[in-house]
Amino acid sequence: MNRSLGALLAIGLAGLQLLAVLAVVFSSYVTSESALIHHARILLRDVGVNTIEHSKGFLSPAQGAAELAARLAENRVIASDDPALLEQLLFQQLQIAPQFAGAYYGAENGDFVHVLRMPSGPGVYRTKIITHVNGKRRVQLIWRNDDFSIAQTQEDPTDPYDPRVRPWYVKSKAERGTIWTDPYIFFTSQQPGITLAAPVLKDDHSVRGAVGVDIEISMISDFLSRLNIGAHGKALIINHNGDVIAHPNKNLIKTEDDDGTLRFADIGEIDDPIARAAFGTLAAAGGMPVAKETPSEFVYQGARYVSTALPIISDKLPWTIAVYAPEDDFTGVIKSNRTQNIWLAVVVSLLTAGAGLALAEYIHRPVRAFATRAALISQGEIDASEPMPRTFRELERANAALVREIAARRTAEKEYGETFNMSSRGMAQLHPDTGRFLRANARLTEITGYSDEDLAGMTFTDLLHPEDRRFWTAPHATDSALNHNMRMLRADGATIWVSVSAIVIRDAAGRPLHDVVTLDDVTQSKVNEQEIQRLNKDLSHLARGNTMGQMAAGLAHELNQPLTAIAQNADTAIFMLEREGGLDPELRDIVTEIEQQAIRAGDIIRALRGFIRKDEGARTSFDFAELLGQSLQLLRAEATEAGVRIKTDVPADLRQIVGNRVQIAQVLVNLIRNAIEAMSADRHNERLVTVSARTDGPMLLVTVSDTGPGIDPDVALFSQFATTKRTGMGLGLSICRSIIEGNGGKLWNEEGKQRGAVFQFTAPLAASDNSPRDSKQETGIV
Amino acid sequence: MIDDAMTDPDMTVFVVDDDAGIRSSLVRALSLRGYRVAAFASAVEFLDEFELGMGGCLVLDYGMPGMNGLELQRHLNNMGAQLPIVFITGHGGVPESVQAIKAGAVDFLEKPFRQADLIARIETAFQITRELRQTQARSEQQQARFGRLTSRESEIVERIVENPREASSKEIASALGISPRTVDHHRARIMEKLGVKSLAELIALASR
Repeated sequence: MNRSLGALLAIGLAGLQLLAVLAVVFSSYVTSESALIHHARILLRDVGVNTIEHSKGFLSPAQGAAELAARLAENRVIASDDPALLEQLLFQQLQIAPQFAGAYYGAENGDFVHVLRMPSGPGVYRTKIITHVNGKRRVQLIWRNDDFSIAQTQEDPTDPYDPRVRPWYVKSKAERGTIWTDPYIFFTSQQPGITLAAPVLKDDHSVRGAVGVDIEISMISDFLSRLNIGAHGKALIINHNGDVIAHPNKNLIKTEDDDGTLRFADIGEIDDPIARAAFGTLAAAGGMPVAKETPSEFVYQGARYVSTALPIISDKLPWTIAVYAPEDDFTGVIKSNRTQNIWLAVVVSLLTAGAGLALAEYIHRPVRAFATRAALISQGEIDASEPMPRTFRELERANAALVREIAARRTAEKEYGETFNMSSRGMAQLHPDTGRFLRANARLTEITGYSDEDLAGMTFTDLLHPEDRRFWTAPHATDSALNHNMRMLRADGATIWVSVSAIVIRDAAGRPLHDVVTLDDVTQSKVNEQEIQRLNKDLSHLARGNTMGQMAAGLAHELNQPLTAIAQNADTAIFMLEREGGLDPELRDIVTEIEQQAIRAGDIIRALRGFIRKDEGARTSFDFAELLGQSLQLLRAEATEAGVRIKTDVPADLRQIVGNRVQIAQVLVNLIRNAIEAMSADRHNERLVTVSARTDGPMLLVTVSDTGPGIDPDVALFSQFATTKRTGMGLGLSICRSIIEGNGGKLWNEEGKQRGAVFQFTAPLAASDNSPRDSKQETGIV
Repeated sequence: MIDDAMTDPDMTVFVVDDDAGIRSSLVRALSLRGYRVAAFASAVEFLDEFELGMGGCLVLDYGMPGMNGLELQRHLNNMGAQLPIVFITGHGGVPESVQAIKAGAVDFLEKPFRQADLIARIETAFQITRELRQTQARSEQQQARFGRLTSRESEIVERIVENPREASSKEIASALGISPRTVDHHRARIMEKLGVKSLAELIALASR
């Protein structure tokens, strides 16, 4: 682990703490916010419903009054054609219902009675009465006080008013029932209002006239302004055509057209931008009046708002109650609470982090001390067995293991170092890349004569005899151990023989750490070995010279010849002496003795030969090439030492030959050895012995030639005791010849060569299946 | 012994040996003893001189360069020569001597040998030659006697010799389809021409 334990603990603890607190804060915020918004919606709806109820409560008395008046007129309870009674009835209505601005009756003949409140005039009420008597129209204005007393009267002949063309009359007549007009701005009071009209029917259901009531609805706005919807919430009433007919600020609902007439402000243009934002789009899309409660949320200038639109109050009044309020009115508290909580969480986290750091420090201090101590131990500055500071149990166990491990390693290193230094073999470690000496023991410096300092700058190859460097391969390169004897040059220039072994040491990953070389000085044993080789050769030479079998066989044959002649001549002498008579007995004895001694000599030779004959092997058929190979094996050392190369030229498909295998081998060895010896004195020319073999009729012809000085023509080669060699006995060739002849072949010297000697011999080939050997041999002889 | 040799001028002792010392000592010794002697240094030289009708004895060295003694013996046998051979050898190996004797050699003398031993072998050889010659002469004589028989007589001799148990005149007559009397007549003529007195003598003569 590379990061500090302390930092990791502090960051981890603080981070976890912060995450936990934030999670709780946000979760509680989200749940309480949604609860509060839900609550706000309920509130908005309640406000809406409240408004609806209030409006109904405000307007329904008007309806009752108007309808009552109409029924009264209808049932002639009141003489509808008596304007004074009508005026009185209408006046009473106004007094009962304070929300009535005016009440009136229009008749089918154009008569009209209108009572309205007019506090600004001479009285509190003013009545307009239009009558037609005998085709004569009369317009009479009467101002009355509260008690119905007349304050002033006036005629107005210029008044053109005809109730029958007014919309309320036309509409109620057409509907034959109570109608509500759309709200509009009353002309006289310039207040927003609404007119309710009901037709007055005759018995035959024809229309007699219509009763109307004007209701000022600015009081609804007053009501709205008194409503408490959060801190900043508002409720308003929007007509089906988009007119805002009630608003907490009633000044906003009136607007003036270009021609100076007053009208309601449309929801799309009202000077309440939040209301515009909340409901303008809905109205513009033709969504007014809404069919059911329509809640929505919107953002205005970065603040979130909730709103709701409630459906119309009644069929007659197609008004939509619209309520909006900023969310903050409801969630503001918990928002500020959330911020508080976050800060609290940060503070708690910081505290926790501090506590974590302190805890980490507490845990980490002993660990750090342990790490420092481990580093010091590995640098060898303190001993592992020294008591360690108080720490955790786990670390103490680890320390114990470490101490054991270090002690074991120290011991192993010490043992290895001692083994390395005290070894009776020369030992060295070599760098695998450069081949240079990393370390060498005393024995190696002793063997090579170089000091440690000398060796430090050298490679192993530098030590080797130039001719023997090819035997050295760094073991890491071949990944195999090396084991070879080679020559080395000592510091003093002497050549020594060393037996070199080398292996590669690798680390756990398989990379070579170093090559380890061990070597022994084997110069003395090499000298001994060469001495033994020389002695061996001498011995074999001696053995060859004294090969009893061949020598005796040759001797026997050669000696028997003269002995035979002696015996014959002695016998002949005796015969002649007897024949001629006059025999001197003493001479006869002498000659007889000569004959007897000759025979005796023959007997001795026979006995000797009989003894030797035992070691003669039987004749067999065998492979000449194999025999030649074995013979060369015997001669290799001798040839190498004399600097002679031996070449063979033997066909692979030779038939086997028949004879005494050992004897023919001896002849072959003898001839090749003669060739080697003949050339050993010659230092200038190439020294090559060639042994070839080929089939010659029924025989195998073997040729042994050399590049030596050749044969002195004065020497009778095959005679016994004739020799060209200083050390020779002159028996070799004659013995060879008798051996070859004994085996059915011949041996001779090929003469006439300018240089070198050529000896040839033959040996019978074994019979093969389809070549009868006997007949061939006969033709060969004849 | 000497007289025998001297009385038989057809007999020659042929000496074949590559060793000049041996050749000269043998020639001298044998000549002094009255033998006719011819010496040769090699088998080839001997064969140049030798003709089939020559009789006597061959004293032959076993081990010689070139054609050796055994090879010469085999060669002579193949030629049909009936020259008895006495081998003399410096090697004296048992296998070689066995081979030589099997091929008809009189004996196998190891060098050095006593002259008396050699003379004895030569005499044996001469005896063999003489017997051979007598047999040959007798055989020629017999051939001549049988040649005088008529073809019918030869036929009857043949039957008698081949099947002596059915040699009665009756049996022969029935086999040949002639009368026993005629057979008896033929038999008398045969006895007379061949000079034999009995049937046994006839069979013995014919069997040679």
